[in-house]
Amino acid sequence: MLIKYFATFRELTKENSLVLNAEPANIAELLELLSDRYGTPFRKAVFEDGELSSLMILLVNGRNVRITGGLATPVNPTDEVSVFPMVAGG
Amino acid sequence: MSKMLMIYPNKCTGCRNCELACSFEHGGTFRPGATRVHTFTWEREGFAVPLMCQQCDDAACVNVCPTGAMHHGPAGSNLVELNPDLCIGCKLCVIACPFGSARYDSVTKSIAKCDTCAGAPQCVAMCPNAALEFVEDAEQTRSRKQVVADKFKTIFEEVN
Amino acid sequence: MNGWIGTTLRVDLSRGTIKRERTNKLVARDYIGARGMGVKIISDEVDPSADALGPDNKLVFAPGPFTGTFAPSAGRYNVITKSPLNGTIAGSNSGGVFGPELKFAGYDAVIIEGQAKKPVYLWIKNDLVEIRDASAMWGMTVADTTDALREQTDPDAKVACIGPAGENLSLIASIMNEMHRAAGRTGVGAVMGSKKLKAIAVIGTGEITVADPVAFKAAVMDARGKIQANPVGGVGLKAYGTDVLVNILNQSGALPVNNWQDAYSPVADKIGGESLAANQLVRPKGCFACIISCGRATKVTNPAYAGVGEGPEYESAWAFGVDSGIDNLDAIIKANYLCNEYGLDTISMGSTIACAMELYELGLLTKKDTDGLDLSFGNAEVMVELVRKTGVGEGFGKRLQEGSYRLADSVGRPDLSMTVKKQEMPAYDPRGVQGIGLNYATNNRGGCHVRGYTIAVEVLGQGAPTDPHATEGKAALDIVFQDLTSALDSSGSCLFATFGIGGAELAGMLSALTGVDYSLEEFMKAGARIWNLERLWNLKVGYTAADDTLPVRLLTEPIKTGPSKGRVNHLDQMLPEYYALRGWDAAGVPTPEKLAELAL
Repeated sequence: MLIKYFATFRELTKENSLVLNAEPANIAELLELLSDRYGTPFRKAVFEDGELSSLMILLVNGRNVRITGGLATPVNPTDEVSVFPMVAGG
Repeated sequence: MSKMLMIYPNKCTGCRNCELACSFEHGGTFRPGATRVHTFTWEREGFAVPLMCQQCDDAACVNVCPTGAMHHGPAGSNLVELNPDLCIGCKLCVIACPFGSARYDSVTKSIAKCDTCAGAPQCVAMCPNAALEFVEDAEQTRSRKQVVADKFKTIFEEVN
Repeated sequence: MNGWIGTTLRVDLSRGTIKRERTNKLVARDYIGARGMGVKIISDEVDPSADALGPDNKLVFAPGPFTGTFAPSAGRYNVITKSPLNGTIAGSNSGGVFGPELKFAGYDAVIIEGQAKKPVYLWIKNDLVEIRDASAMWGMTVADTTDALREQTDPDAKVACIGPAGENLSLIASIMNEMHRAAGRTGVGAVMGSKKLKAIAVIGTGEITVADPVAFKAAVMDARGKIQANPVGGVGLKAYGTDVLVNILNQSGALPVNNWQDAYSPVADKIGGESLAANQLVRPKGCFACIISCGRATKVTNPAYAGVGEGPEYESAWAFGVDSGIDNLDAIIKANYLCNEYGLDTISMGSTIACAMELYELGLLTKKDTDGLDLSFGNAEVMVELVRKTGVGEGFGKRLQEGSYRLADSVGRPDLSMTVKKQEMPAYDPRGVQGIGLNYATNNRGGCHVRGYTIAVEVLGQGAPTDPHATEGKAALDIVFQDLTSALDSSGSCLFATFGIGGAELAGMLSALTGVDYSLEEFMKAGARIWNLERLWNLKVGYTAADDTLPVRLLTEPIKTGPSKGRVNHLDQMLPEYYALRGWDAAGVPTPEKLAELAL
């Protein structure tokens, strides 16, 4: 599974991307794995009271997990996951 | 302990919220002539800096004032204060201030000079970028030193 | 009046006359100011059939009631006129400090009429208004004009001007203020050029009064708090600028590539806000009264493209970047600097170059047409040279300065111009984001994203989650965004304030400032009124429902790669519902009932 980080998540993780050699079943398991890897600041950025943080945009193969099932969204080893802070522009 | 206004030009974006806050605080309207703080902007270089009264210890405005209207604050204060009742509008302070920070406002017929909004400067409160700070004089350079200290820490961590 | 000044300036350049008029209080109330007031003036005073570049067109510069106050990030002005690019009642919106200075000088609007015989500029110092000779400045770049005017008038003067592109009547010319801020879209710079008006220089020392200072300050502090607490308004835009969008649009499969032949680029990261922050950013910049600071003071040291200035925004980075097959951010920034110098709209310029590149690769343009230049996608050096040629109106640049529609049409392929109503679309592919397609198709000034920014909800996760691939509910979403933005533009606020506040906060601040009681409903209704008045103009110009469409590529040619692979836009599933919800008939004409409801 390929994880791509953007904007402030690059500062948090000190990397632009990660090839994950584990097989989490869903977004919740994935974010737990990543939080263990990167520590508390990362965990705080992705979880908000045990739910998906509202300050983060998480895409699985370009689809926002907020519309595909949130933390329960299933993930596969071939997926590409993009992690953004809430961003905008125009 | 007295406080001073610190300016951080590196953080200034040139938005002039400080000027608006100053004008509004002193007259309830938005009028460039009413503001005591002015932001200077270099558009080509993208640089800006706000300037206001430096509250000098040896203050030219105080020295030239013929009536004592412009005076140093009470013991323990480092402010230069203006007593409008004593001001005769001679504008000598305007001429004397080397920073241009005492201005004559022809609309209100009075001298416009930073009064730190009685200890709660609105320019500081409304600056969205922390380019202005009102700090205890003992702490005036703390945040600048902190930046240098942080760099040292990073370097030493890398060396070790 | 409070918030408003109460005075409008009218300048007839044909006769050389200057008049001061009272601002109509009822018009101010119903159309708020800025865009709304300008639309009302143009609609009342200009014949829709008038030549946009002739003496009968008028040009309105109008700040809004918030402009010049500390309403957060609300220091903007609008330029409203009949567009020479597409004939719509066009407007363009700019920040900087020019708008507030007009207010402080004492004007809610400046109406420019007629046509000067030789180049002139307008000098406004409060009540003093003069039409002055600008012959010596004709041909100068924007920055040089600004410096020259400050020497002739006042070192603190705020200057809105055109560069050589506006003088040459380029249909994609902008009006620039404070050197780097642009009223970019719809070719407003050409209207200024046609009037031989090189610049307006203004300095003001007047006052903006507030109806209820205590309530206004409280409403402003509430709005500031909400914007600063929002991760976008408070942190994200300042750290990375709007260019941070490159990656998220790319990862969502909606970043147009190579003149919209695709919507995903494997190299997009090289031109995104993260790369900009790491390499060329000097510091964030803010417009007047801004608390967000999305502006980018930048510096390029690469000798091939060296320079200092501002930008790029997301749109500019995209247009000169992946849409032209280019991943060299230094070259992109150089192109942006040149646009600021010559006074060109970066979206239309970059998109026109992308179109030319596709026409070149198809053999419809050859080196005979292009002054010997190789217009293959990805040729950064040539891209920058094309901007220069367009800016000064040299050789092939004379064709580019008309925009992509006329260029593509001249070789028989208007379908390869990625435009709506002849204006180039911004950087969101409607095949990957359905609602923005409906917004482009129905937008009163043609291809435009800011007047109906559904991206905030469809992609950026603001508000309730919405599937960008769904068409359901998008008509209603578009209408809310279009009406809100119409009212917001008219108030003088920046669109980015809505990353934190909405119509209720804006209406609250406006009521306290002006003393006119705007409920949220009335504020939104003013927006709908402005939108419908713009629509009526466009119908009079000759636009019909058939023009409410997208380039055929977006409707029939599926995206080739990336997350939105295989998708097209389904405009036909959204447009009828849009008309119905707008209160328009099947031909897209506002019904008499709707017009009566809006007092039109």
